[in-house]
Amino acid sequence: MRKFLPLVIVVSLGFLAGCGGNGGGGSTPVGVPPAGGNVQPILVNGGPVSGVIYPNGAFTSVTLCNPGTTTCQTIGGILVDTGSFGLRILSSEITLTGLQTLTSGSSTLYNCIQFADSSFLWGAAEVADVQIAGETASSETVQVIADPTGFGIPTDCSNGGIDEDNQAGLGANGILGIGPEPVDCGLACDPTGGNQFPPTPFYYTCGGGTCTPSFVSVSQQVQNPVALFSTDNNGTIVELPELSGAAASETGSLIFGIGTETNNQIPSSATIFTLDDEDTFSVTFNGTTYNSSNGTASFIDLGSNGLFFPDTSIPTCTDVPDFYCPTSLLSLSATNLGTNAATGTVNFSIDNADNLFAEGSGADAAYSTLGGPNTGGGFDYGLPFFYGRHVFTSIDGAAVPSGAPAAPWWAY
Amino acid sequence: MSPMTTSKQHQVGGGFAWAKWTSMALMIFGQCLPASAALGGDLSSVQADQAHMKAILKTTAAPAYTLHEIKTEMGTTVREFASADGRVFAVAWHGPSVPPMQQILGTYFQQYSAGVQAHHAGYVGRRPLNIQEPGLVVQSSGHARGFFGRAYVPGMLPPGVTPDQIR
Repeated sequence: MRKFLPLVIVVSLGFLAGCGGNGGGGSTPVGVPPAGGNVQPILVNGGPVSGVIYPNGAFTSVTLCNPGTTTCQTIGGILVDTGSFGLRILSSEITLTGLQTLTSGSSTLYNCIQFADSSFLWGAAEVADVQIAGETASSETVQVIADPTGFGIPTDCSNGGIDEDNQAGLGANGILGIGPEPVDCGLACDPTGGNQFPPTPFYYTCGGGTCTPSFVSVSQQVQNPVALFSTDNNGTIVELPELSGAAASETGSLIFGIGTETNNQIPSSATIFTLDDEDTFSVTFNGTTYNSSNGTASFIDLGSNGLFFPDTSIPTCTDVPDFYCPTSLLSLSATNLGTNAATGTVNFSIDNADNLFAEGSGADAAYSTLGGPNTGGGFDYGLPFFYGRHVFTSIDGAAVPSGAPAAPWWAY
Repeated sequence: MSPMTTSKQHQVGGGFAWAKWTSMALMIFGQCLPASAALGGDLSSVQADQAHMKAILKTTAAPAYTLHEIKTEMGTTVREFASADGRVFAVAWHGPSVPPMQQILGTYFQQYSAGVQAHHAGYVGRRPLNIQEPGLVVQSSGHARGFFGRAYVPGMLPPGVTPDQIR
């Protein structure tokens, strides 16, 4: 009963216009990257928004190229996120004019993503070559974030939330989603996946002023760029240096591949925690276990900017109740448990967020002891968890090193 | 490695599909659904939510409430907690997508949306959602393809029911 139309590509005019303009994060002609370059610097530096500090955000740059060409643009200020999948960039930061828009007939394919904080991003699904360090994801679908003209964002995408279609709202020029899945939706959104209805809110075909939920083949969904690299494509390592308290900035590394190079081997000291169907694991804290089976899932997420967990005994800040404001530094401990029964103890500290934000004349961007409540939820090990650790994220369905359990898993 | 590429895979079939009959179904559902929705609504709103989400419904009885569990094709589950007088006092959800909030929050949707705006005001950064107002609590956590949340009206909780039971 479904009618499949062949997919065509609209290539914008201006395809041969050179290396774009000089807005946004700048524009750089990119040659052949050095072989073996699987290390990308990341900075916890407050982000790209002038006058605004993004606390505990890891930022990097990516290079977008018109598919199959060396006409490229490097865009900085991209938030690195292990809690989502795919590259999403503000249209306002893109000066390339040759990206390929996915279309069907006279309609254009759009993508929506919602985040747990009730923010959302809407934008066209466009095809680009994506280069990060020495790695390239060829012809991958990215979301170009922009509000539509001529029609409204479908209400099941906006969903009463915040439209972060601008730098000030997003706090970044884009999001690089490199979590443990290769695409942002998967088989549920694929026309051959067996679902009767296209799930929402993921993909929409929009034309003539209206949008309709749509199926999209997995190969054309918004993809985790790492999964599309020709090598070093089975996962990532995020490394941030040890940090005690707060600092103006921190510099770390995003390393591509697990067990594929000499610099991305799993050390014998690391523990591998396999994940459940929702890419979460179990954490026991103060005698209570938080996992998906009781509705309180726990997870590691570089894109969360603190350590968020339920503890009604810690006072929250009066001005910003999303963070904890204990009267003195708290030393706490939790136990992680993977679906493979691997366990590990995590020692962490929570400090008064008001004091942290005031230190360093308010200019600090990196905080190892920033935390807040996740009332009704479980453990959300955000960016502070990564200070002093090498955190491996393997991608669902990807090959794993000999002896390692099937992906997805986290290891540290 | 070389920055080689090909766009061939995008030019052949197997792309995203129109599903005309799906949009027809949406129109039919949309036209016959009552406007009322779940939180604060009566039991007919549970069926409305089920139809809107094109989901299956399972109902189980607990001592202090009746639990109506709606599960979509994709696997997103919404649990609607109804008191003995047939009013939905809480909803909880988990799964790969965020449920349609206007549908499941009903008359509380505007208050929720205003709460989200307030939650985001003033500073950037990603963290769980925690709206705690006298007449409405909404809490949400998770990551892409794994969301968890709940909403309830504190004053509507039946005697003996605590927020910890709303999962």
